[in-house]
Amino acid sequence: MGQLIKWIDARFPFSKFIKDELTDYPTPRNLSYWWNFGFLAGFVLMLQIISGIFLAMHYKADVALAFDSIEHIMREVNYGWLIRYLHSTGASAFFAVIYIHMARTLYYGSYRAPRELMWWTGQGLLLLLMATAFMGYLLPWGQMSYWGAQVITSLFGATPFIGEQVVIWLRGDFTVGDATLTRFFVLHYLFPFLIVGAVIIHLVALHFVKSSNPSGINLADKDNIPFHPYFTIKDLYGLGIFLIIFCYFVFFQPETFIEAANNIPANPMQTPEHIVPEWYFLPFYAILRSIPDLLGGVVGMLLSVLIFAVMPYLDRSGIPGGARNRPWYRIMFYVFIVDVLVLGYVGAQASSDLMLIIGRVATLIYFLAFCLLPFISRKEEQWLRKRGLPVEIEELLRYESQQQEKKDDV
Amino acid sequence: MSDDVIKSEPEDCGRRKFLEKATGAVAGAGIAAASWPFISSMNPSTDILAKAESQVELDGIVPGEMQTVEWQGKPVFILRRTEEQIAKMSDSNGSSKDPEPDEQRVQQSEWLVVIGLCTHLGCVPNRTADGWFCPCHGSVYDNSGRILKGPAPRNLDLPPYEFIAENKILIRKA
Amino acid sequence: MNRHKFRTILYCCLLLIVFTVPARSGAVEVEFDRSTDSLKRGAVTFQNLCKLCHDMKYLRYQNLLEIGFSQQQVDKFRKDREMQESLKSSTTPEAAKLLFGIQPPDLSLMAKARKNGPSYIYNLLTGYHETAGGVIRNQILPDTSMPDVLAYSIETDVQAREQLEKTAREVAMFMEWVADPKADQRRRMGYWVIAYLVFLTFLLYLIKRRVWRRLR
Repeated sequence: MGQLIKWIDARFPFSKFIKDELTDYPTPRNLSYWWNFGFLAGFVLMLQIISGIFLAMHYKADVALAFDSIEHIMREVNYGWLIRYLHSTGASAFFAVIYIHMARTLYYGSYRAPRELMWWTGQGLLLLLMATAFMGYLLPWGQMSYWGAQVITSLFGATPFIGEQVVIWLRGDFTVGDATLTRFFVLHYLFPFLIVGAVIIHLVALHFVKSSNPSGINLADKDNIPFHPYFTIKDLYGLGIFLIIFCYFVFFQPETFIEAANNIPANPMQTPEHIVPEWYFLPFYAILRSIPDLLGGVVGMLLSVLIFAVMPYLDRSGIPGGARNRPWYRIMFYVFIVDVLVLGYVGAQASSDLMLIIGRVATLIYFLAFCLLPFISRKEEQWLRKRGLPVEIEELLRYESQQQEKKDDV
Repeated sequence: MSDDVIKSEPEDCGRRKFLEKATGAVAGAGIAAASWPFISSMNPSTDILAKAESQVELDGIVPGEMQTVEWQGKPVFILRRTEEQIAKMSDSNGSSKDPEPDEQRVQQSEWLVVIGLCTHLGCVPNRTADGWFCPCHGSVYDNSGRILKGPAPRNLDLPPYEFIAENKILIRKA
Repeated sequence: MNRHKFRTILYCCLLLIVFTVPARSGAVEVEFDRSTDSLKRGAVTFQNLCKLCHDMKYLRYQNLLEIGFSQQQVDKFRKDREMQESLKSSTTPEAAKLLFGIQPPDLSLMAKARKNGPSYIYNLLTGYHETAGGVIRNQILPDTSMPDVLAYSIETDVQAREQLEKTAREVAMFMEWVADPKADQRRRMGYWVIAYLVFLTFLLYLIKRRVWRRLR
């Protein structure tokens, strides 16, 4: 084995790559467990691809066969039920992990310079994931699959001037039908590999600017430790905890994430009483519904996902790091999280006057949080400086400006 | 990087190595166990396995007549042999390529049950007066399904079957 | 340490909520007997009563062997149908449309297609009552075309009613099994998987602690 590796190393930077990017890769020693979630996301991606490929060996993307093929998988394919539940639970696990990963980034200010590109590649990854999940949900061809796809593809009709054509083009038919199902299957199979590519770019960016850390300040090199064995074992331990929770759902509550109505084959002639998207789309769905105008609602929904991108420019504080050193920002963060949970709840309820009011207030708060951030962050900085920054911050600001001067002198 | 990284303490080096090895073994076992369902899912599903058995009624086949039935997606020749055919087949062992006495190829000498795929490359041979002829490359089989001439290496294969009644056979799963 | 402990306890509480909320929302209001005998009796009721109008396209006669029926018993059910055939109602869709105005739905997945499926089925079957005007209505589905198949609404004898309720429960249990035949196998495997993962995670925790102790 040693000889083989030496032979490869003479022709390909194998050992060097492993050493520089994995084993000896310098990582801040104070990373908390909130930093495990990137690795977990990568694991779930792998799980979804593997379970998806094995499902695709038995699935039939045809409106007459799709629902039956899923039942065939559940009842007759060896361990088909297990692979199916891994995939359906995995989709929810993916979003749970990603949302926590995003929350970590927001809280600790890891989106700030020089990590803007990491944040934007992450943004792209989120959009790819949402598209993949949306298309995947149509495949079982249940009532919720069909009507969810019908509603969301209709939204594209809000496109000015060419709306109707866009919807028909997207569906390949006047309603969601066989053409839609076939192309959604193809694209659902393709997108995860685009996600893999985007993850690689995301990681290249990471390894260039290196991980942020809970203090939010760039630590001195002496505070880094090698990734292996410290974070390899920490990631594996975190994976173990994750798998326990994940497998609990897979084996004991697998139908939690499958809407009851999706056990009924799609019926284009009858809409279910209550159309609900999967939980991970609920906040955005609530925002869509709270804006009375169709185009307004669609724009609002899109904006609610895309607005994250401008975070690096909305945050105008000179205080380094994230919520740890910034009490006002921390409050905004918690308010935002609660607001997203409220929106999620509203998204699941049937439209009513009360829900409409709550939804609208929550939507307002959602966008206000972003819009007010530039002002609040600057005011907060003034307030903090007047109050006196904590000693560590003063020291590190001084240290960082020294470093900057040194760089400028060179 | 940090200087605090102590390389290792000699006292618990052995214990640590044991812990690491044990964990590695447990994890490896888990990964192997976890891959099994995926590998197994590629095997035929239960509905296909259920069709792996075929029951055949032998009523209605007159002596000298051959019927083809389906078993696991393959053709199976059922030949009801006349007295002369049985006598002629018992006389020889087929050819030197794959010698086999006729008695070993049948459970009841009146009924020959063979898989109807040429053992050369899998074409379905055509019925002739004295046996079968494969149109693909010219292999010739006798009325015991034995290869007489041509490129086929073996006599026609025998499926696993049994008589479940006087006039009914069950061709089982392999 | 205190802050760390507090956070750990907080997360554990959150996890507990996450685990129990789905369990509670799936909670069954009715007491069900999940033994194989109960399943078999439910199957017989389905075969003799429900199957007159309802299909179960995802249940094959072959599958009935899995709940303990013998080959002879299954042969009596299927008569001259193949083992691999699925259960079809005795009423054609056209005749059903004439009789009821609508084709009775397939029941293979009904126990999963409604929230608290088995309870829903039980409450539906026992939901028939006679209104003041003498009309028989169903509490769960007021507009249903399905007749009172158990003749529950006209049964006055307490013991007989209890027997009908038992029948309804058993049919509901049978339908729960048909909707999810792998449930038992899944849960059994789940116990082993979780136990294994707890053990492995514990080992990983030990190594993690040992590795991190090396730092000052």
